[in-house]
Amino acid sequence: MFARLLWQLLRASRGRLAVALIAVISSAAVISALLNIDFDIDRKLTQEFRMLGANVVIAPRQAAQPAEPGAATPTLSASPSLMDSSVVLGELERNHTPNLIAAAPYLYMVARTTNTPVVVAGTWLDQASKLAPTWKLDGDWITSRAEKTRCLVGRNVAQQFHLAPGAQLELSYLGRSVRLGVAGVVDAGGADDNQIFVNLPVAQGLAGIDGQIEIVQLSVSGTATSISEYSAQLSKALRGYDVRPIRQVTEAEGQLLHRTRLLITSMVILILALTALCVLATMAALAMERREDVGLMKALGGSMLRILGLFLAEVAVLGAAGGLAGCVAGFALSRWIGGRVFGTSITPRWEIVPLTVALMVAVALTGALPLRRLGNVKPAVILRGE
Amino acid sequence: MFARLVAESFVRDPRRKMLTAAALVVGMAVATATLTVALEVGDRLAREFRSLGANLLVTPQSDTLPLEIGGVDYRPVDEGSYLSEANLGKLKMIFWRHNILGFTPFLDVPVSIRGASNGSLATATTLIGTWYEHAVLVPDGTTFQTGASVTHPWWAIQGRWFGERANECVVGATLAATYPGGIAVGKLIYVTAQDTARAQQQTRPLVVTGIVSTGGAEDKAVLVPLAVAQTLSSRPEQFRQLYVSALTKPADALAERDPSTLTPTEYDRWYCSPYISSISFQIRKVLADTDVRPIRRVADSEGRILSRVSTLLWIVTLAALLAAALAVAATSAATVLQRRSEIGIMKAIGATNALVAGIFVAEQLMLATAGGAIGFVFGIALARALGESVFGTPAAPRLVLLPVILGLAAVVAIAGSLIPLRRAAHFDPAPILRGE
Repeated sequence: MFARLLWQLLRASRGRLAVALIAVISSAAVISALLNIDFDIDRKLTQEFRMLGANVVIAPRQAAQPAEPGAATPTLSASPSLMDSSVVLGELERNHTPNLIAAAPYLYMVARTTNTPVVVAGTWLDQASKLAPTWKLDGDWITSRAEKTRCLVGRNVAQQFHLAPGAQLELSYLGRSVRLGVAGVVDAGGADDNQIFVNLPVAQGLAGIDGQIEIVQLSVSGTATSISEYSAQLSKALRGYDVRPIRQVTEAEGQLLHRTRLLITSMVILILALTALCVLATMAALAMERREDVGLMKALGGSMLRILGLFLAEVAVLGAAGGLAGCVAGFALSRWIGGRVFGTSITPRWEIVPLTVALMVAVALTGALPLRRLGNVKPAVILRGE
Repeated sequence: MFARLVAESFVRDPRRKMLTAAALVVGMAVATATLTVALEVGDRLAREFRSLGANLLVTPQSDTLPLEIGGVDYRPVDEGSYLSEANLGKLKMIFWRHNILGFTPFLDVPVSIRGASNGSLATATTLIGTWYEHAVLVPDGTTFQTGASVTHPWWAIQGRWFGERANECVVGATLAATYPGGIAVGKLIYVTAQDTARAQQQTRPLVVTGIVSTGGAEDKAVLVPLAVAQTLSSRPEQFRQLYVSALTKPADALAERDPSTLTPTEYDRWYCSPYISSISFQIRKVLADTDVRPIRRVADSEGRILSRVSTLLWIVTLAALLAAALAVAATSAATVLQRRSEIGIMKAIGATNALVAGIFVAEQLMLATAGGAIGFVFGIALARALGESVFGTPAAPRLVLLPVILGLAAVVAIAGSLIPLRRAAHFDPAPILRGE
């Protein structure tokens, strides 16, 4: 009986309800889209910040180097600042997380080409594009870390030695030498422009120190706390090594993330209040229109409790239906915004659906509260139209 | 007669207009606040991004290849070219001088250091000469305070920074911890550099005033005032690298193009926009024989993140405007519906539809103006609070927005009441008055 009455009630006033439903749906759509973006913005922004490249380094906890008179450039094999690659990289492998975007070991040395000293960096070249996303490359990337015959050269190096992709170059170090083809020229806008990049085995062979590396650079995504948690976990696993976040990147990142997040969240809260107001007004109008119906039902002998229950149920159904439909529209909206702003869609967060629907129902019921006042009105007066 | 009717209707029974008025005030306050913040958020965020430090690097043009590993140049002092300190004031004379937030020269000198006590070990390290807070004389007669405090804001010091002209130094955290016996604040260290000009060694005692932690190569080095490094390396007034922190606009299609291919009008527009390319072009003009290159890691990320965040904020602002409009429209509709019987009476005693609509529209307009104005005032306060909590400085009020907000309020209030008014026009007065 209650259900049938409710159904009739909804059906009979379709036109008026449609307007209210539209208001609820559009409010729910805006709320769910913004909440979705707000929940996802940390992840999206931290991904963006990975443009900055490495943010954590692993280095040996070194003792000070004794002064060598006359030798300004550090000589490699005697340096205590090296670490065993199998230990460090093995430990890194064991502590792998999906947040680790890229990692690469580095071995730096000052080798000579055509008798001019130049910095050679031995690394994993397949990680280069992820660890330094701002590099612009003329030529080809080297996609394998086992490639031993080709290298990438920095822009200034290429200029100095007149190198272009496809050219050959010879590196020599303490009597050993290696011949490499240039796969690409790197425009990095920084110190990398002055370096030659080879794969790690090439540099280790040239230096004559197998299995040794100088530092490991990591690009870790996540919030400031999750990054420092991860580096704490690494430094526990790697006792005797120095695992530290690169402060230039992590500090700026944390601050910017915090500010952007705060700004968007406070705007979303304001919008939430406004949409609630909109639903409230719509429902209040709807409730006022029901005055005559209430009067009639009361005259026919319906108990006030039952009548109120009926109308509140109507409003609640409206809120729930509008909330659900709005969520669907909101997810589509947030996908579109994600595509426009970040180039990738924003993953829908399902916990937003019950949140939005509950909010809509609560606001709708609040809006219908003026009906309560009808309890002490005499039916005859209302039916007379006063 | 019409005016009196409207005035009567406006003043009488204010409770009925409460909902619309409240929605107008709240809606317009939110619209004002979000618009005010959105209008200056680009500039604010760009400034925040400067916490990443310098985004331009100036080096001598005809230089040998720097042997730079982890930020320290290992070239001997007698090799490569140098830049002169004397011209640096000109940086604050370029077209975009106000966008130059700071600049810091660097001079790396390979040295060995030794503690004050007898028998302490000599250790090879790098002496980095720089400015922390230095007053630069600008050619127009003013001075400009700049240095690493602006271009490297993440450097954290324990103790205090060195004095500009004093024989003081700041030691990197790693070096201080690993030096046999340790280096503490207040201690004396002896720094020895190879004097290339006179082919002899030069030693100078320096007081350690602080331990610096930077997370970079400086952690393993000794930082001294630029003047000290210049004396030790016999390179008076000279330095190797200049880091510049400039406030820039994200690159767009125009900024990507080669300036030499631009038409004169495009060239003017490019020159007068604070793109990183136009600022580096202007720096190259005042500092002869230099190579000015954007530090792409910082500059590119900054541009991209900045443009994305501001697009997102504009979308959120748009959503706020939409929500404000919806709220006002919904409450206006509710108000008209509540007054159906009033409309019925008016029509019964001979009012035309046009007159009824006119009275309501005029009333809504008055309400919109009052509500919009009050909302604007609240909005300014809200924007101040928002700017204060997010960026630390309140957002400046923009009076330009007042007509925009009032117009918006009027349009939305009328649009919201139009649909129910149209429906009311079709009603016969008799059933309404009967209460049906």
